[in-house]
Amino acid sequence: MAEIPAPLAAVQVEALVVMKIIKHCSQTFPSTATGGIVGMDVDGTLEITNTFPFPVVEVPAESHFDNAAPNPAAAAPRAKANAAYSAEMIRMLREVNTDANSVGWYTSANMGNFVNMNVIENQFYYQSQLNERTVALVHDVSRSSQGSLSLRAFRLSSKFMAAFKENKFTSEDLQKSNLRHPDIFEELPVKLHNSHLITSFIHQLQCPTSTASTELPPSLAALESSPFAKTSTLTPNFDNLSLSIDPFLEKNCDLLLDSIETHNTEVNNYQYYQRVLGREQQKINAWKQKRAQENASRATLNQPLLPEDEWQRLFKLPAEPSRLESMLNTRQVDQYARQVDSFVSSSTGKMFAIKGNLLPNETSN
Amino acid sequence: MAEDSFLHLARPLGPVSVGTAPTTAPLNVVIQPQAIFSVLDHSLRRNVDQERVIGTLLGTRSEDGSEVEVRSAFAVGHSEAEDQVEVDMEYHKQMLALHLKANPREVLVGWYATASELNTFSALIQNFYSGQGDGTWPHPAVHLTVSTEAGKDLETRAYISAPVGVTAERAADSAAFIPVPYELRYGEADKSGLESIANAKDAEDRSASVTSDIESLERAIEEVLSMVDRVSRYVESVIDEETPASTAMGQFLLNALALAPKVEPADIERDFNNHIQDVLVVSYLANTVRTQMELSTRLATAQLTLGSGVGAEGPSTGDNQRNQRGGKNQGGRPRQDRTEEARA
Repeated sequence: MAEIPAPLAAVQVEALVVMKIIKHCSQTFPSTATGGIVGMDVDGTLEITNTFPFPVVEVPAESHFDNAAPNPAAAAPRAKANAAYSAEMIRMLREVNTDANSVGWYTSANMGNFVNMNVIENQFYYQSQLNERTVALVHDVSRSSQGSLSLRAFRLSSKFMAAFKENKFTSEDLQKSNLRHPDIFEELPVKLHNSHLITSFIHQLQCPTSTASTELPPSLAALESSPFAKTSTLTPNFDNLSLSIDPFLEKNCDLLLDSIETHNTEVNNYQYYQRVLGREQQKINAWKQKRAQENASRATLNQPLLPEDEWQRLFKLPAEPSRLESMLNTRQVDQYARQVDSFVSSSTGKMFAIKGNLLPNETSN
Repeated sequence: MAEDSFLHLARPLGPVSVGTAPTTAPLNVVIQPQAIFSVLDHSLRRNVDQERVIGTLLGTRSEDGSEVEVRSAFAVGHSEAEDQVEVDMEYHKQMLALHLKANPREVLVGWYATASELNTFSALIQNFYSGQGDGTWPHPAVHLTVSTEAGKDLETRAYISAPVGVTAERAADSAAFIPVPYELRYGEADKSGLESIANAKDAEDRSASVTSDIESLERAIEEVLSMVDRVSRYVESVIDEETPASTAMGQFLLNALALAPKVEPADIERDFNNHIQDVLVVSYLANTVRTQMELSTRLATAQLTLGSGVGAEGPSTGDNQRNQRGGKNQGGRPRQDRTEEARA
């Protein structure tokens, strides 16, 4: 590249892409769905104009107990077969004047549980192998069904990319690079964009019959069967007024508990490592002392000295477990906590409103 | 949108041997928004000299074949001249194969064009799509026209076809298009997406940002308030005898008002308190867990500042024990909380 392009600052998603992603993700829910996105990069804004789902390789029945790939869809974006598939698809799209430029991939999530190794590896693959300027779109199916669309765009930060490339996730490396869990992802603001045709289409949808509204219905039955009573138009989505709190909180608590368990496992792993390390260190020290004594006695006897660094061959220090998993976990918990916060802020409002309405005397005094 | 009413008449079939003719039984077409959006997008991306573009519709068919659901669409290149039409069939086949790989449940259901006009070429293409082999035979192929003429309303129509013509040769390039009813349907999952898209409809730059929970709540409440306003304005004007009263309307409003729950204040008080406690406790705990985890990772990786010159191993053991304690604490508390929730 001759000139250095401006860093990606925002992501602009066409309505078509939003609908296609929603369709694909909700169809496969609760298992993960992934797909490719194509578009263009215009002055730091990534315009995503089309998308296509990745095929899921059906696991044959006999390999049911094979735990090697428990979720083939999650790994699909970096699978070899799919690279060919997406190349083919993009070639086809080019023929009908679609932007034929892969700009990333999308995945579905359930309650924000998208911070995991699969996502990281996919995005790493995209950013390192294909094109640095790619994003991962995350569509949260369960949160979207609660009222407001949840579509977010992420990239791996350059710092994390560098660390991941060399797999530098021991505590020493992390101290050096000062990499923390908020530094894993960069979130880009997502904007929805409609074409002129879609704008006019939506306008048409919302006012189906503007002239007939003046007539009053003759009977209740007529009113109920009239087009106004049917909520087939786009207009408001009142799902986010509903007061079902418990399922959401329960699910979140479950996820949090899972994270805590992961955290504990990681900590235990680390402790185990440290115990083993300590033990080995002790052994080495004992050996060194022994060797020193031996050498001292040899020196008095005028014998040739034994080498002092032989312990490096004799003892093997255990490898430090990677800190990556616990870092991701922290990031995930962070995500859950923010999610709960945002849910709580709206649900407390709703609850106070209902209380105020049903107990009017309370509010007046 | 579907204001037209339909009357389906059985008619004699053309000179095609019985058994090869596709059925012309009436059917219902259901269109999902992403299919329409695909069509509109394709229409925008057509070549300058093209009047209309065509593409393939994919979807599902109900078991008895009486309902066709159009789920997605892809563009197919074609060119029209004065006296001939060329459709890139190779492209269509390849794309179909690719598409079916990712969506094994969808089948070919028909095709679309972005002009309302039906002409000889339409008939030709229709016969291809409904034919045997690569087509939808024995089911009828659905033809969807979406007019995208600038300055006019978008008009969507759905057709199936019946063979027509006196001889077999004539029948190959002619077809009687029979309009069929269609409706636009979208699932629960699409709703939030469509709503967000609709937010951009009045914006000058035709774009909108993804809103947070609280913002969309605010909008929904505003919407409800404006609806209540409208109704009360209407009721007032009826009371003032400015607008003619309607029994039906009154009945409807009464029914709606009757939906308000009658609950004891004490019950409300109790439920409210229970739930608000749950919500706040979970929020509090989630944030506690977050802080603890962050603290734990920080302690594990940032000990260099604690012991200057000491090896990394020394202090980290101590830190890790502390982390471990933190982790256990966290593990315990949300569990308690969950039992509390189950009780509530």
